[in-house]
Amino acid sequence: MSQIANDPYGCLSDLRKKKQIIGSTLADVPEEVIHAAGLHPFLILGTNEPIRHSSALLPDNSCSLARSNLELVLGEQKAFFDGFVLSQVCDTTQHLSDIWRRKLPDHYFENFLAPRQVARASARAWYAEESQRLRSALEHYTGRRITDQALEESFRLYNENRGLLRRLYDIKQEAPALMTNREFFDMVKATFFMDKEEHNRLLKEVVTWAEQDKARRADQTGYLKVVMAGIVVEPPAIYDMIDQVKGNIVADNLCVASRYIYHDVEIGPDPAEALADRHLKKPLFSPINADPERIAADLVELYRAAGAEAVFYCHIKYCESQAYDLPDIKTRMRGQGIPFLELETEYQTTRSSQMRTRLEAFRESVIGKRGSM
Amino acid sequence: MSKQPEKQKRQQSAQELSRQLTEAYLHDARTAHERGRYVAYATAVSPVELLVAHDVIPIYPENHAAACLTKRMGTELSLAMERKGYTSHLCAYARSDLGYRITGKSARGGIPDPAFLLACNAQCFTLTKWFEVLSRQYQVPLFVFDTPQWIRDPGARKEIVKYCVSQLRELITALEQLTGKRFDYDRLAEVMARSRDASLLYRKFLDMAAYKPSPISIFDALIQMAIIVYLRGTPQAVDYYQTLCAEVQARADQGIGAVENERFRLYWENLPIWFKFRDHFNLLASYGATILTSLYVHAWCYEFDTAKDPLETLAESYCSVFSNRILEERAAMALDLFQRYSLDGSLMFVNRSCKAVSFAVYQLKEIIAAKTGTPALIFESDMGDQRFYSETQIRTRIEAFLETLQRRKAERG
Repeated sequence: MSQIANDPYGCLSDLRKKKQIIGSTLADVPEEVIHAAGLHPFLILGTNEPIRHSSALLPDNSCSLARSNLELVLGEQKAFFDGFVLSQVCDTTQHLSDIWRRKLPDHYFENFLAPRQVARASARAWYAEESQRLRSALEHYTGRRITDQALEESFRLYNENRGLLRRLYDIKQEAPALMTNREFFDMVKATFFMDKEEHNRLLKEVVTWAEQDKARRADQTGYLKVVMAGIVVEPPAIYDMIDQVKGNIVADNLCVASRYIYHDVEIGPDPAEALADRHLKKPLFSPINADPERIAADLVELYRAAGAEAVFYCHIKYCESQAYDLPDIKTRMRGQGIPFLELETEYQTTRSSQMRTRLEAFRESVIGKRGSM
Repeated sequence: MSKQPEKQKRQQSAQELSRQLTEAYLHDARTAHERGRYVAYATAVSPVELLVAHDVIPIYPENHAAACLTKRMGTELSLAMERKGYTSHLCAYARSDLGYRITGKSARGGIPDPAFLLACNAQCFTLTKWFEVLSRQYQVPLFVFDTPQWIRDPGARKEIVKYCVSQLRELITALEQLTGKRFDYDRLAEVMARSRDASLLYRKFLDMAAYKPSPISIFDALIQMAIIVYLRGTPQAVDYYQTLCAEVQARADQGIGAVENERFRLYWENLPIWFKFRDHFNLLASYGATILTSLYVHAWCYEFDTAKDPLETLAESYCSVFSNRILEERAAMALDLFQRYSLDGSLMFVNRSCKAVSFAVYQLKEIIAAKTGTPALIFESDMGDQRFYSETQIRTRIEAFLETLQRRKAERG
């Protein structure tokens, strides 16, 4: 799984022999609908390779996730995908959809217009409506009906996957020495790329092993319990650096972790409404409007509930949404006495030594305070 | 707001009327609290007709910010905000506004605090995040009117309108909760009729750029658009644009151009560089060039279909604004301006402050150049912060572009 997480295109090149591959972008495309259509949903999470193709299409103050996603599909992985379902959450992703469609006219393309507010009842109806529209569009594309039964089977498969990842997350929290942050989050990341049944099979093996071994690895001595906040954590070497300072990520609100693995689709009479209900339960995603206080309040609650000792916030440079939130989040964290560390990062970043030093200094300061209490 | 006696109104120039209306509007807003009225902040492209119909005074932080940026206060206000932990990568309107909240410095005496916030993301997404900051600061409710991209699929458009109508109903409920008053739909119909009339007159004014020579430049449009932004839905806005159209028509009838010896008629992509307004006009005029239009100034040309359900036509109109359309439709709108105004080329500004408009620029250039065969200059800067404006470099590039236009004209005889 770790190999797949770090080199999905190399490891999964034979996926296309089995199914058509439909790429999607963060964060709210209901993959189950794509799966039920007999297609393989694949989340595009950028590349840390140097940018060559997309710099002529997007200004350099676009976030590196957008730039590197565009780079990836215009560059070496164009042939990997048969089509795309792209979601729009901000100005950058809205434009990205247009550029993408225009530059890849021979690929199937669909927008998924998830609500950019979850503050009111209308959001639920709209998400259900968009899910229904996606279902019809994919039926039209494949020429096959997506039955309710097929959707329910996909819901069950994906729920099982989420359940296994949640179980593993619980074990990781209890037994930090059992697996590193990098190992755990690589296993989560692999789910965005792999065949779900295969991922479930591997996860079951890991969970069985972890259940057996956790009691021997439950010693929390020397670990710092951390909440990881943000959207994505890239490059993944950031996890390695957190491992090096013995940070144990015990909770998060990342799109590439908790926002994906928490809450199942509750199977009911209307599949679109079931998807909408799950959508509304997800942890808050910075570009999506809800009660503006939630930006910081949810994080404080997460920190308290997890019994954490610090919050790390992974800020993708040029992500406007995060940039508007951060000053108020910092003020709130300071006010609550919560140790907080902002990690500004970019795909293709080259400043890892500086980040490592900051992490080490931060750990010392938190551990020092712990000792004096 | 008090109505002017008919006789006096006829004698006033559009400029005088604009000043008077602006002063009266700001006075109304500043004293609203004393009269038991509410002030709401609204984004410039938002269904403000609902606020006007409910007797809530809309105030536009973007307009206030534009005034501060024009007065070259952008860097100072941004620095104040940066000292509080914000980044200089954000929209200059937001930076200027948040800087004003810290320093109290303003180009026009400030704006009153809000009791309610309305942000519509058809214009851009950044506004909703900016207004979230204000919501936390003032502890007042924020309503985000979410307008999904106006994609081409007719079925999707129908559903988008349905979603937006349901949100407008939610907005009405929120306004009723704010004021404790029942919403009056008859009043809304009146307000929308006035808004439509003012919008049509505003469009008529913009379309006078089709005359040769053009009696107006984009610099006139940018000044005169203020009233359609903050007074649409009022009878005063209708009166104002009638006066303005009559004045400009008279200039057109006399063959008076916005620049002397008009030679080159240009399109501008993006918001203006507010602090270089006058300099750009003068530089271009020295070559007989003038910028006539942009999609931006056309964003307030609404055509409400008053035969329809008012909420439905509001939803359609605000969702279909240029900035919420797909790239090809945005290009088609620009090409329509090229054709109707006989344009010779484009100045395409990649604005650090505005991703919503700027990220389309490279693709728009490709489409417009291919369809019209006219030259275009792309340059990068910021609409409000002088730190990101490279004077010599941009001037040299604009001059080189104008020389290209001269050469082309000479070659074509």
